[in-house]
Amino acid sequence: MEATMARPTVLYVEDEENDIIFMRFAFKKAGIEHGLESVMDGQHAVAYLSGESPYHNRQLYPLPSLILLDVHLPLISGFEVLDWIRTRSDLKEIPVIVFSSSGRPEDRRKAEELGANYYLLKPASGLQFVQVAKNLKDGWLNPG
Amino acid sequence: VTGTPDTFEPPLRKPSARVSIVIFVLSVTLMWWLRLHIFRDQFITLSYGLPLLLCLWHRDRLLLWSMTLAFLALSAVKAFLLLERVDPVMDSAQWLMQVINTVVIAGTVHFVLVLFERLDVRNRELQRTNEELAAREEEINRQNEELQVQSEELAQQNEELQQQSEELQNQSAELHSQAEELQGTNEELKQRESILQRLLESLRITESDSAVLESLCRSALDLIGDAAQAAAIVERSGSQMNLLASTPGVIQPKEPVPFKDSFTEIIVDEDRTAFIEDLRDRPDIGVLQGVNREFRSVLCTPLRSGRQPIGAVKIYSTTPQRWTTEHFRIVEWVAAQSSLILEVRRLRNELTRTNADLEKLVHERTARLQELVDELEHFSYSITHDMRAPLRAMQGFAELLAMAGDGALGEAERKNYLDRIITAAGRMDRLITDALSYSRTVRQEMTLHAVDTCHLLKGMIESYPEFQMPRARIDVAERMPAVLANEAGLTQCFSNLLNNAVKFVEHNQQPHVQVRAEQTDGRVRIWFEDNGIGIPQELAPRMFGMFQRGSRKYEGTGIGLALVRKVTERMGGKVGVESAPGKGSRFWVELRAAHNGGNHG
Repeated sequence: MEATMARPTVLYVEDEENDIIFMRFAFKKAGIEHGLESVMDGQHAVAYLSGESPYHNRQLYPLPSLILLDVHLPLISGFEVLDWIRTRSDLKEIPVIVFSSSGRPEDRRKAEELGANYYLLKPASGLQFVQVAKNLKDGWLNPG
Repeated sequence: VTGTPDTFEPPLRKPSARVSIVIFVLSVTLMWWLRLHIFRDQFITLSYGLPLLLCLWHRDRLLLWSMTLAFLALSAVKAFLLLERVDPVMDSAQWLMQVINTVVIAGTVHFVLVLFERLDVRNRELQRTNEELAAREEEINRQNEELQVQSEELAQQNEELQQQSEELQNQSAELHSQAEELQGTNEELKQRESILQRLLESLRITESDSAVLESLCRSALDLIGDAAQAAAIVERSGSQMNLLASTPGVIQPKEPVPFKDSFTEIIVDEDRTAFIEDLRDRPDIGVLQGVNREFRSVLCTPLRSGRQPIGAVKIYSTTPQRWTTEHFRIVEWVAAQSSLILEVRRLRNELTRTNADLEKLVHERTARLQELVDELEHFSYSITHDMRAPLRAMQGFAELLAMAGDGALGEAERKNYLDRIITAAGRMDRLITDALSYSRTVRQEMTLHAVDTCHLLKGMIESYPEFQMPRARIDVAERMPAVLANEAGLTQCFSNLLNNAVKFVEHNQQPHVQVRAEQTDGRVRIWFEDNGIGIPQELAPRMFGMFQRGSRKYEGTGIGLALVRKVTERMGGKVGVESAPGKGSRFWVELRAAHNGGNHG
C-alpha cells in the first residue's frame, strides 16, 4: 500500500558527499522524476532497505525501484551490501547498478557474480554524471 | 749353367792346303830329280813309298793320292821313255811291281790315316765329354758350396732361435709367475670392489646406519677368511660403549658396556691397530663374547671420525691367533671405509636437512615477497582509486563554475563550490603525502633498540599544540616500560594514533586521551583510550585495513591506521582496538620489552 502510494525512488549508496551533489544535479538536468535518496555507508544502506530506524517510514523512505551502489564504502563494502541484497527475497526484484570508479576486470566480474544487473564506471568529472543520469532514464527508469 | 755341351762341336783340324802343295811339289820334284836325272839310267830301289809316309805326318789323303798318281806317272815316264828297253816284259813287270808297291803303300797310309781320323774323332768326343763332366762337376761343386753356405747360415739361425726360445721360455715363466701374482691381487681387489659396491649401494638406498655397518662387518669377515668368526663395530659414547653393528654370533649387550678397561679404550687411547693373541691370558681386559662360544682372540683397530678415534672395528676368533700383517691391513681398510661411510652419511643427512631448511626458507621468503607484492598492488590500486574522488569533485565543480555565466549562480553557491574544490585539493595532497610515507615505511630498514615510550610521548605532546590544552587533554602514565622499537617508526605510530584520537570526537566535545602500558611475558602493550565516536566492535579489526575510513564525516585518507599496523608489524609487534559506538575506542600497540630497561634521557 505504502509502496504504491510512495513516489518512485532511486537509492544511491555513496560515501562521497560531492558525488551525491553531482548526482542530484544530474537527475535534475536529465529531467528524472524519480526521487533520489542517498545513504553514505553500507550499514545505512542495509538499514534503509530493511526499513529499520531511522528509515522505517516508507512514505519518507520508499523501497527504491533502482539501486546505485558504490563499491568503496567505509567498513562494509558495496559488494557486501550487494551480497546481502541478493539474499533477501523481498529485494531481489530491485535492479542494482554497481557504480564504481574501478575499471579492474576482477571488480566487474565480482559484481556480476554477486548478481549486479549492470556495472557502470564513474566518469572522471562530476559534471559528466548528467550523461549517466540520462542513460539511466532511458535504459532503466520507466516514466511515471 | 752357361753354354750347352751339345752345341759345342770343336772342328776337326784340316790339314793345311799350302803345306800339302809344298810337300807335293818338293817330293815330286825330289823324286823327279833323283829318278829321272841322277839315276836316269839305273834302276834304283829307292821306293816312291817313302815320300808317301810323309802323309803320316801331314795327314792329307788328297795329297797322298796326288803324290801316288804323280809318282806313278814319273815311274811310267822312266820305265817307258827313259830306260832302254831291254826286255819289255821284264820292264813292264818291274814297273807293275813298282806301281803295286806304291799303291799298297799309299793304301796302307790311307788306311792308317782313316784310323787316325777316327781316333781323332773319338778323342775329341772323349775330350768333349770330359769337359762336360768337368763343367758339371764344377757346377756341382759350386752348388755344394752354396748349400754349405746356406747350411751354415741355417745353423747360425737355428742357434739364434734356440737362444731366443730359451729367453722366451724364461720370460714366459716370469710372466706366468707375475700373472699368478696379479690374479691373486686381482681377486682380492675384486672382492674389495664388490664390498665397496655393496657399501656404496647401501649409501644410496635408505638403509639405516647399523645396516651399512653390519654390511662392513660381513665384508671384514669375507676378506679375512677362516681365521675370524665374528666382527663388530663399537662406538664410544661418553663413559660407555655402544655396539653399532656386528655379524651374527656376537652377544648383543642389553645395555651399553663400560668404556673403561675395555680393549677399545686401549686402542682408542693409543690410536693404533693391536690384537690379543689369547684372551685367556688377559682376563683383565673387557671384550664382548660370542653366543654359545668363547672368543679366544681379538684384532682391533680404531674407527675414526675426521682424525679423531671414536670407536673400534673388531675381529674375533674362537682360537688363539697371531694375526698377520695382511689381517692388519684388511681390518684397517675396513675401518677406513667405515669411517668414510659414516662421514658420507652424516654429510648427506646434513645436506638433506640444509636443503630442506633452504627450501623452507625460500618458500617463506617467496610467500613474504608475494604478500608484499600483493599488498603493494592493492595499495597502488587503492590509492589511484581514492585519488579519483577528489579529482572528480575538483573537475566537476570547476566545470559547473565555468559553465554558469555571470550571475547564474548565487554568491553562496559559488563559494560553496570553491570551498569544495579547495577541500578536495587538500585531500588530494594528504593522500599523496600519506601514500609516500606508507611506501617509505614499507621499504626502509627498521633497526630496533630500546625506546623510552614515556619520554617519546611527552616530547610529541610538547611539540604539537593540537595535543595540548585546551584543544585536547592527553594523559600519559608516569612510568612506562621501555620497548624494543625503531624510534622514527614508533613516533609515526604514536602520532597517527593520537591524531585519530583527538580527531574522531563529537564536535562539541574536548578530546581526552589516556595512554598507559601493561607488561606481560616480555611484551609491552601500550593503550590509547579516547572518548571519541567509536565504532561497532565487529567492524573494529577492519579499521587497520588500507584506505578504510570509519566515517566520511571526518577528513581522513584511510592510510593512517594501516600505516600504524604496518610499522608495528615490522618492529615485531601487533595492533588492536576495542570499541563501541559512542563509547570511545581503546587502541593498543604491543611490542617486545627492552630488557636492559633503557631509560634514555
